[in-house]
Formats: sequence, C-alpha cells, structure tokens
Amino acid sequence: MTFDLDLIVLYLPDIVRALGVTILLWLAGSALGLLVGFLIAVARRYGPRWLDWALLAPVELIRGTPFLVQIFLLYYGGPFIGLSLDSITAGLLGLTIYGAAYYSELWRSGFVAIPKGHVEAAQCVGLNRTQTLRRIILPEMTMLLLPSMVNMTILMLKETAILSIISVPELTLAVSALGTKYYAFVEGFAILALVYWALVEACSALGRYAESRLSKYRFAVS
Amino acid sequence: MKLKSLLTTAMAGLIGLATLGAAQAEDVLDKVKAAGVLKVGTETAFAPFDFIDAGEHVGLNIDLFAEIGKELGVTIEWVTLPWDGMFPGLESGKFDMVAGPATITNARMERFRFTAPIAEATVALLKKAGDDTITKPEDIAGKAVGSGKATAQLAQLVEFGATLPSPVEAKEYVSFNEAYADLAAGRVVAVANSFPNIAYVAQQRPETFALIEPPFGVKTYFGFPGRPDPEYATLMDAIDAALATIKADGRLGAIQKKWFGVEFDTPDKITKAAI
Amino acid sequence: MSWKLFWLLVEAARLTILLSVISVSIGFLLSSLVCAAVMSTHRSARIAGKLFVSFFRGTPLLVQLLLIYYLLPQIGLNVPSEVAAIVGMSLCTAAYQAEILRGGFSSVPRGLIEAANMCGFSKFAIFRRIRLPIAVQLTIPALISEAIMMLKSSSLVSVVGVVELSRMAQDLAASTYRPLELFAAAGLIYLIINLVVAGFGLQLEKRMQWGRT
Repeated sequence: MTFDLDLIVLYLPDIVRALGVTILLWLAGSALGLLVGFLIAVARRYGPRWLDWALLAPVELIRGTPFLVQIFLLYYGGPFIGLSLDSITAGLLGLTIYGAAYYSELWRSGFVAIPKGHVEAAQCVGLNRTQTLRRIILPEMTMLLLPSMVNMTILMLKETAILSIISVPELTLAVSALGTKYYAFVEGFAILALVYWALVEACSALGRYAESRLSKYRFAVS
Repeated sequence: MKLKSLLTTAMAGLIGLATLGAAQAEDVLDKVKAAGVLKVGTETAFAPFDFIDAGEHVGLNIDLFAEIGKELGVTIEWVTLPWDGMFPGLESGKFDMVAGPATITNARMERFRFTAPIAEATVALLKKAGDDTITKPEDIAGKAVGSGKATAQLAQLVEFGATLPSPVEAKEYVSFNEAYADLAAGRVVAVANSFPNIAYVAQQRPETFALIEPPFGVKTYFGFPGRPDPEYATLMDAIDAALATIKADGRLGAIQKKWFGVEFDTPDKITKAAI
Repeated sequence: MSWKLFWLLVEAARLTILLSVISVSIGFLLSSLVCAAVMSTHRSARIAGKLFVSFFRGTPLLVQLLLIYYLLPQIGLNVPSEVAAIVGMSLCTAAYQAEILRGGFSSVPRGLIEAANMCGFSKFAIFRRIRLPIAVQLTIPALISEAIMMLKSSSLVSVVGVVELSRMAQDLAASTYRPLELFAAAGLIYLIINLVVAGFGLQLEKRMQWGRT
C-alpha cells in the first residue's frame, strides 16, 4: 500500500472540478426537489381527491426503489421511449424526481402538524390568510421540518455519488478513476470520506444555525 | 507544505506499524498447499471469461482454474468483487491472485506479476446491428465511442482515435456493461473492448449488436495478475508451470475453443508487451 | 426475461432481506448505546457519541464499506465479505437510529416529566413509564423509514463482494446483455419488499396509539 500525497496535489484541479459538479448537482437537485415536492404536497392536500390518489403511486414507487435502479432506467432506458438525455441532465432530473418524492412527504407531515388552534388564534387577532401563512404557518412549519429537511438534503448529497454509474463526472467517479489508474485506492477512499464528511458537517451546521434563528417559533408537539 | 509532510509522516508511521505485524511473511505456495485452497479474486461480469449464466458461475476462468487446481492439487475458492476492488483486494490479501483476466501492459508488469498469456486481448469495436455507416474501424472518426474507465482498451481507443482525420470522442464508463447499454441506447456508435469479449456479445445478441472486423489495436494478450512480492514467487512459478502443461497437452486450446469458438496462438511468456 | 432469471433475483433478494434485518437489529442495539452516550452527562462520552454519529452519517456508506473491507486487513483484521457488509451497515444505521432516538427523547413534553416528578416517580420509573414509551411511539415512523432506507442501501454491499439483489441483476445483465429488463425487475422486487415493510410499520403505529389525544 502506498499513501502518496503528491498524487493528491498533482490531481487537485481535477478533484476540485469534480467536486464542483457534485456540489452543483446536489444544490440544484435539492432546490428543485424541495420546490417540486412542495407542489406535490400542496396538490395532494388541497387538490381534488383523484389527484391525491394519482400522485400517491409515483411517490411510493420512487421511495420504494433504490436510486441506483431509478437512475439506470432513466439514463439507459430513456432513449427507448424517446428520452435521450445527456448524463448531467439525466442526473439532475433523476435527483429532482427522487428528492421531490421524499420532500413532498416531509412537507405533508408539516401541513398536518400545525395545530388548528394556532391558525384560529391568528384569525382571532385579525391576521388575514396571507399574513397567517407568512407569519404563523410557514415559520412554524420550517422550524418543525428543518431537522428532517436537513437530513434529507444530506442524503441527497450522498446519492450524487451514485451518478457515477451514468458517467456524470462527479467526485466519486473522478476519484475512483484516479485510484484505478494509479493504484492509489487508499488515497482515493480517504479523500472521498473527508470531502463528503466536510460537506455534510457544513450542511448540518447551516441547519443548526437556521434552527437557532427560528427557535422562537418552536412549539411543543405531543 | 508543512501540513502535507506532517500527514505523510503520520501515515507512514501508521502503515509501518501495520506492516510490522505481517513482517514474517511465509511462502504463499506452502500456505496454499497446506490449506488445500487457492483463493482467486474475480469479477463475475466479464463474459465469456467469467459470468453468471442462469445462476451458475461459468466461463473460461472457471474451466482453466479447475485445471490449474488439478495440477497443483488444490481446490479453487472464488472471491467475487466488482473490478474496482480487484487490485485493492489482491494487495490487502483477500485472495492469492486475480483471474479477470487483465491485458498485459508494461506499466502493469511493473506493479504485478502476470501469468503466461491465456488469450488474445487485441482491441476491436462493437457497433449496433444494422448500422451501415461503420464497416471498418476507421469509420468511427469524429464519432462518440465508449469504453471502460482506466482500462488498457480505453487507452488503445484514444491512441487509435488520434490517428484518424477527425478525433474520436472517447466516453468512459464505470464498466463495459454500461458502455454496451449506452450503445443500445444510441449515445455512442461503438464500444471498444478486447476481441474475445465483444465477439461473444455480438454472438449473444445478434439482433442488437454486431462486430466490426478487423480488430484495430496492436496485438496484446490477457494474463492473470498476481503479486510481485518474493513470498508469492513460488506460487506464481507453480501456476506458470501448470499453465505450460495445460497448454502443451491441448487443454488450453480446447477451453479457448469452447468459449471463443476459436483457438488463439499465444506466446509462452511476455517480457515486453506491445503497449 | 425468463422466469428462471426472475427466480434468481428473488433468491438474491432473500440475502438482501437477511442482511438488512440483521444490520437494522444490531444497529438498533448499538444505537441505544450511542444515544445514551450522546445524551449522557459525561463530557467524554458525549464527544465520543457525537463523533460516531457525525462520521457515520457524514460519509457515504459505500466509502465506509470500502474502508472496513480494504483497510482493516492492514492492521491484521481480514474480515470476510459478509462480515464487512454487516459491520458497515450496522454502524451506519446505528448512527442514524441514534439520532432518531435522541429526537424522540427530546420531544417528550417536559410537562409530563415534571408532573411525574411531582407525583413522586423515581428517575428510573419516569424513564420506563413515561420517557421510553413516548419516545418509542414518536419514533416508530422514522425508524421504519430508516429500515426501508437500509434495505435500499444494502445494494451497496456488492462493493465488498456480497452478491445481493442489485449485484445479481448486474451480473445477469452482464451475461444476457439485457440490463433494462433486469434492473426493472430488481426495482419491482425492492418495491414489493418495501411496501410490505411500510405496511407492517403502519400496523405497528396503529397498535402504539396509546395515550394519544
């Protein structure tokens, strides 16, 4: 076994570029997933009943199968139904769909959890609907959902590693290709572990900061 | 860089500590014979060398190692890993040698000890069945062609692509199987892999794939990689001796014929590879 | 795709289920220890617990498995594939489950604990009668989702040489050159297993509705 740090320095530009792809796909996929998930949750809760049922199946389908399988079918199976995407687009679309299914369930649990009393109280003190939404429901829900949303977003980061199977030039692919080329596997694993760990910790720290800023909206759930 | 040297020292210390325990290396052939088992690492997704056919682990490797086992008087235990895990597994002692096989290259010979060649590995192209725009290897000029990442076959493709009037776009895949899937999906017009492998693919799914003849690469051979360390020398010598016997009495030819449909004329030993 | 191939996938799925059940169970036991450490009054135990959770949640399971399988032999621990897979999965899920449990315990309304205190409950009685049952009740849905996550993550253990459902699909795809059919079939099997687990979770949740208003 050789632990050759020169190799890491030599390929730093490559690794940094791949890290950029990982971060970009992660952030874009999570943001789109959050948005689409919110729309799904609203449609399922406030839309007609048939819409709720129609959306249930795809959401459960996505949540019940591994991301690896989904991304494989989307990328390699897509062209057979006329959907020929390049790897980065397919990766982003896959991440968005995957994230949307999970985020929609989180949003739904948030809608359910806001006590009716809070909304009624807001109306009693004369807040209109938008004010109630902006001042009461959204902040309370954000506070409530923040930890699980942060968790899900961390999961999204780790799922980006699976995009290597469709040759997205992201971190895991770049580092493991270097490892294979130079027989420097140990260096590769160590870099991967450290980089993902750092990103996750940064994301968690951001979540904790947001939580502390919003803590006045915390209420007891029982 | 201060941090770097600090890290290097720390790492070196750790590794030194780790290797200390394994300092008194025994002869591996003695160990294998005493246990009666030769452990071989392989990837079960490399037809026709090594694959799962209707639940059975079959291929040229299985037949050939069965003969090697007979010669050495040991049974073979297979450890199946994805290809990425093959060399880390070999170096961390998960198995005594690797089947695979791998293309014998000069760079790899510096790192591993290869057995005698067991088949030809010259690179050829696979196209979609019915694609009339490609009839000879030179027709891939200016088009996208897939291959496995960090493989000798990819290196050959890139080298060949550079000699053409317009460059080939080489797309890298985690394994050849994803490259085949993308050929079927139409994102690449061809896949570059060793001749025995793609001849088999074309034969298995003639409605989807077709072979482009002749192979374009320089003549290369497949061998089984093992470790170059002194304690492995007697084992690798014994396997080479067994392979020589198996080749001399025609068993190797028969096994090649069974899996490739043809016999290859392979040299007895490679000291300097073409690439 | 023939029935024979589908049946091979089903056989491999049994290993997927077995690995997941073992790892989630070991992980649950470990997670109670980790959770106790994280919530402990000892500073060093807290730090150790937090570091454990941070590392195993912060790095991909894939990388953890590779480190266990390839780096442990360097210190003389040459673990076989199945053991590496179970150890990796157990440690990873233990970190997640510990966080879930911690969340459950910290969501137990303080008023209830204070009330029990006033009524003269001992510390242990409060734990057994109030905090534990409420925490478990609150965390069942999250624990079930975690179990489903592990079932799906078990597809990664093929990197250490365990041929479970998704590796079998890849191997069969590599010899039949029909990856789409095989991946779709594997996805279907995962879906069925997970629907069963989710259904079981709902039943469990219903049975645990004690004391809910």
